[in-house]
Amino acid sequence: MRKMFFLGACCVPFTTGLALAATGLTVDQRGLSFSVPALTIQHGGIVTFTNSDITSHNIVVTGEGVRLNSGLQTPGVPFHAPFSKAGTYQVSCAIHPRMKMTVTVK
Amino acid sequence: MRTLHDQGKSSTATRRGNVTGSRLCRLLIPFLAALLAALSLDVASSSMASDPAASFLDYYRRPPVDTVMPGSVEARRIALGQMLFFERRLSHSQQMSCASCHNPALAWQDGRRTGLGDRGNRLSRRTPTLLNIGWSEPLFWDGRADTLELQAPGPLLNPDEMGLRADRLVPTVSRNAAYRRAFGEAFPGKPIALETVAAALAAYQRTIVSAPSPFDRWVEGDPGAISAAARRGFVLFNTTAKCAACHMGWRFTDDGFHDIGLPGADRGRAAIVPGIAPLEKAFKTPTLRSIAYRAPYMHDGSIATLEQVLDHYDHGFIARPSLSDQIGPLHLSARDKHDLIAFMKSLSSPSRSGAPAVLSPSKGQ
Repeated sequence: MRKMFFLGACCVPFTTGLALAATGLTVDQRGLSFSVPALTIQHGGIVTFTNSDITSHNIVVTGEGVRLNSGLQTPGVPFHAPFSKAGTYQVSCAIHPRMKMTVTVK
Repeated sequence: MRTLHDQGKSSTATRRGNVTGSRLCRLLIPFLAALLAALSLDVASSSMASDPAASFLDYYRRPPVDTVMPGSVEARRIALGQMLFFERRLSHSQQMSCASCHNPALAWQDGRRTGLGDRGNRLSRRTPTLLNIGWSEPLFWDGRADTLELQAPGPLLNPDEMGLRADRLVPTVSRNAAYRRAFGEAFPGKPIALETVAAALAAYQRTIVSAPSPFDRWVEGDPGAISAAARRGFVLFNTTAKCAACHMGWRFTDDGFHDIGLPGADRGRAAIVPGIAPLEKAFKTPTLRSIAYRAPYMHDGSIATLEQVLDHYDHGFIARPSLSDQIGPLHLSARDKHDLIAFMKSLSSPSRSGAPAVLSPSKGQ
């Protein structure tokens, strides 16, 4: 099951895995850590968060007046986060709050 | 130089750096995928190749700890923090110190089901241990303090805990010449204030490091350091019993928040971070270091023995939507439970002696 959530006013009605592969970036969660501490993308981009741990995560994205909650993200299930509005976003795991990273949207 | 750990003896000063904590933990804390993947590795070259536990050992190796140079500002802050930690005048009644609940002789807890406040009032949660607390941010059972510096004022000023009035803190400390001198040496150019009190307490607490246990000696290559039952328990811990899903790494905690299916109305982390379903009734994963000395167990102290803890995880939990998806029926045998407990007991240092008495400067000095 893939979960889609939308940020800001510009929403993408549906995004296929193929399109994500062409336009998005992937951040892995492994060892209770994001694979990168920071990421810069263009507005309208999508970040796919994968979960290579065997424990579940719960991604929360906050910034620019929006809050995005992935819900429980079980191992192996990707979470696709569209970033439609320029600004700086904090990404963390609600279950493991030491997991933190920043996404900057240009 | 001083060592402060669960025995409270002194020989080599150690502390845990705040800034580097999360980075080191990322390096040192295993995640179960890697653990399970490691099972398939060829360990033929290892001297313990026939032992399935060998695959997991590196994930539990203790990290080196920082040292603090004698006479440095940091050492002075630690010394000041130690005085403040044992200072009973930092409570409303002047009878209660941090150590009243975080007793070094009781693995930096109090042995009670839940804590007691300055008025003798019963608190709602069990006193957490301070062992390895410098690595353990965020703090409190519900994680409401991101750092030790932010945590320290909480119990001091909480009317239900030490109950010190905020406007009494600075006068209480400042009237004492020895404290004035100690603050001047520890925080040159800075006033005596809540922030510097908290910084000193934080510096001291980062020196509270669990002493090496039989398990650590086994990890470092002493095959006889723990029993065969404990070795079997270690494998179960990492596989069938799924304990390591949360109790991972050398501190045996993921510093995460999970609903483990205990009864009670306490919302735990959900009261701090609302709107996240898995955080309902979720509490921070406690370390298992010195666990044999830290009964009763759980955030509410509701389980008296390790045997009962295993029964809870085996079949005693309450199934509900927020229950951690790591928890489910385990069908552990009596021997499994025996072995798991043997392993957990190997995480405790044989010494329980407390820290030496610290006589804080008395009034008028």
